[in-house]
Amino acid sequence: MAGGTKWLQRVQMVGVFFQAKRRRVYMEEYYLICEDSPEGIFTGIFEAYALRKSHDSIHIQIGEEDNLRLFAVYHHIAPDQEKSLRVAATVERRLGPEAYVEICCALASQDGGKGEAVYKTVVCGFKMKDGRQVMGNLADPYVHKVFELARNVKNEAHHWKEFLRFKELEGGTLFAKIGPKNNVITFLMPHFADRLPLFNFMIYDEKRKIFAVHPASGEWYLVSDMETGMEKFEEYAAEEEKYQELFQFFCKRIAIKERKNLKLQRNMLPLWFQEYMVEFGE
Amino acid sequence: MSAPKRTNVCKKGLKKVLLYAIMDSNKCSLWCGVGEMVQFKVAEAQDIMEKLGILTDAAKYDVACTSSGVDRRGDGRGMGNTLAGGICHSFSADGRCISLLKILFTNECIYDCKYCVNRRSNDVPRTSFTPDEVCTLTMEFYKRNYIEGLFLSSGILHSPDYTMELICQTIYKLRKECRFQGYIHVKAIPGADPMLVQKAGFLADRMSVNLELPTAEGLRRLAPNKHRKNILAPMRQIQNGIQVNKNEIMLYRNAPRFVAAGQSTQMIVGATPENDYQLMSVAEGLYEKFGLKRVFYSAFVNVNEDKELPALPGGPPLLREHRLYQADWLLRFYGFKAGELLSEERPNFNILLDPKADWALRHLELFPVEVNRAEYRMLLRIPGVGVKSAQRIVRARRNSALRFEDLKKIGVVLKRALYFITCGGQMMYRTKMEEDYITRNLLNVKEKLPFDKDGVTYKQLSLFDDMGFPLPPGQEDVKKAVWGQM
Repeated sequence: MAGGTKWLQRVQMVGVFFQAKRRRVYMEEYYLICEDSPEGIFTGIFEAYALRKSHDSIHIQIGEEDNLRLFAVYHHIAPDQEKSLRVAATVERRLGPEAYVEICCALASQDGGKGEAVYKTVVCGFKMKDGRQVMGNLADPYVHKVFELARNVKNEAHHWKEFLRFKELEGGTLFAKIGPKNNVITFLMPHFADRLPLFNFMIYDEKRKIFAVHPASGEWYLVSDMETGMEKFEEYAAEEEKYQELFQFFCKRIAIKERKNLKLQRNMLPLWFQEYMVEFGE
Repeated sequence: MSAPKRTNVCKKGLKKVLLYAIMDSNKCSLWCGVGEMVQFKVAEAQDIMEKLGILTDAAKYDVACTSSGVDRRGDGRGMGNTLAGGICHSFSADGRCISLLKILFTNECIYDCKYCVNRRSNDVPRTSFTPDEVCTLTMEFYKRNYIEGLFLSSGILHSPDYTMELICQTIYKLRKECRFQGYIHVKAIPGADPMLVQKAGFLADRMSVNLELPTAEGLRRLAPNKHRKNILAPMRQIQNGIQVNKNEIMLYRNAPRFVAAGQSTQMIVGATPENDYQLMSVAEGLYEKFGLKRVFYSAFVNVNEDKELPALPGGPPLLREHRLYQADWLLRFYGFKAGELLSEERPNFNILLDPKADWALRHLELFPVEVNRAEYRMLLRIPGVGVKSAQRIVRARRNSALRFEDLKKIGVVLKRALYFITCGGQMMYRTKMEEDYITRNLLNVKEKLPFDKDGVTYKQLSLFDDMGFPLPPGQEDVKKAVWGQM
């Protein structure tokens, strides 16, 4: 008799195992296709929760991908300001401002997987007892990815704070052109607005065709799709060339020839920045 | 005392200048040298380019070019702000960072220091800036984002007091007339009137007095006009000033800041026969007793032919300088003591191994360390684990037990650390805890040196692998903030 029950138990267990396996195989995968903007991705997170399915089966994707998956359901998510603001507020409240800033930085990255990483990080944080500790959970692959992306964005933003060069245009406006890999212009503006409050200045992201404009003693703003020729930004003030030459000269003279080390220079200051810098012109 | 009058410095000829010093109007008035007449001679009109060349050449051997240590937002009425982490704006051909406009005010000098390119007995072109020229250059460069601020040093023109006056006058003009709020680093001239040093301290962010040589004996031999007593006096004065200022700020939040970014100094390495142990002990003393922010080490570059100076056929002692910086980092951020790294019996650093690995190999009884349990201070002592990764380990292990893969992600250099750690009680590979064996294996891992020795590219070791990544304030910081010490 006892042996009989044991046998029955075993059969049941095997049944459960197969069931689990079957559910796994036929589990539907949902792909939410979002716009590449913080707003778009936050809306995507909102919709992901609204689906009320296991988070393992939901993925956020930015833009269309060439390869469609089998057994996957695709949803196109249109960015919605109200929904995204609700998500943003919840994320900031539950995960704390530190993690929120980290997530915002990650969202400025050029990486295509940022949407998925941010979404899963948010899920991970909401599950934790203390969501504020989420960015410390580096053993989680998605949290780690957000951490890496945010670090990459912050490092690049810092590099542009260092290596960006303004040129004085006729009329006294300062103009700088940058070509960043990540979308860092919004991280640069507060820094320069604080630094040069009394100047009219402009930063132009030539990869994304965005202008950031700071009027003297005013608030800065972004302008995109501006229909204008770049010639306007090549008429420099009379003094401009003199100071460019002076700085080039200074950079040359400050080097100690006994310690010359061009490789170290290149390591510290990658070549791709140098085309934007006056001291490396010619 | 009536309000002092002021005449502008005339470009040509001699003009009497009434010196004055007013700090922020009514809060803190410092008067110095009022009524004292000083003559100020400006060299014949020279091209600004020429002057910049001469005075940059003269200043380049000074190492300090950091713009860190103080976070100050602009007040919206001038130009500039500062970031605690500092900003490097460019890198020169020797790979050193260009953060500040590093110039001498003048390279005319009454001293005859054997190692210095500007010594009296050298036949080099001499020139001086005027305060106006320095201000214009700084403002124009700063506005174009070329530099983070001004580093102003000077040869000793006429007398220490006279030189210090000029420096004060320049930075006063820059701060008050040009409303420059960026970073200013100035030298306190040894032997100058304490009032002048005090005055400069309220205008500058960082001040430095160069110790030049670690021992009084070395100083006597190579810099006969400088005395150790004169160098330490302003250092002590600045230290006390900073302390007093901290208390003032505790009471009055808007009290003017005195040398907000702290003071630094510099020692020349390899010009005199001192060993590394002496250098490190001096550095440690400076950090502990004088509250310095940084001690810089400058590999001696032989610019003058002098019988007192060593010949350096292999070029400047860059490896030695590098080891000193590594050890300096260990003192400041890793909780090491100079006596742990070196001793009378072993007075010099190992050429082949960095000081931390060297220390670990001599203390194998403390290893392996269990990463998931060890306290933070012990984590810091593991070769291959830096400040950032130790902090990340402490944070990450609260959530889950860490494995070797996780350590790799966190940024631990496993190929160095693996001999010294366990994860969950296991080492990464079967490893003998034997000094010779580990040394041999560590030497196989090529050390990254910032300078070129055999054609391999190296990146400079840096504590901060990520910028703009402020740490969450620790308990100590919170306390400091409460007491207004930050």
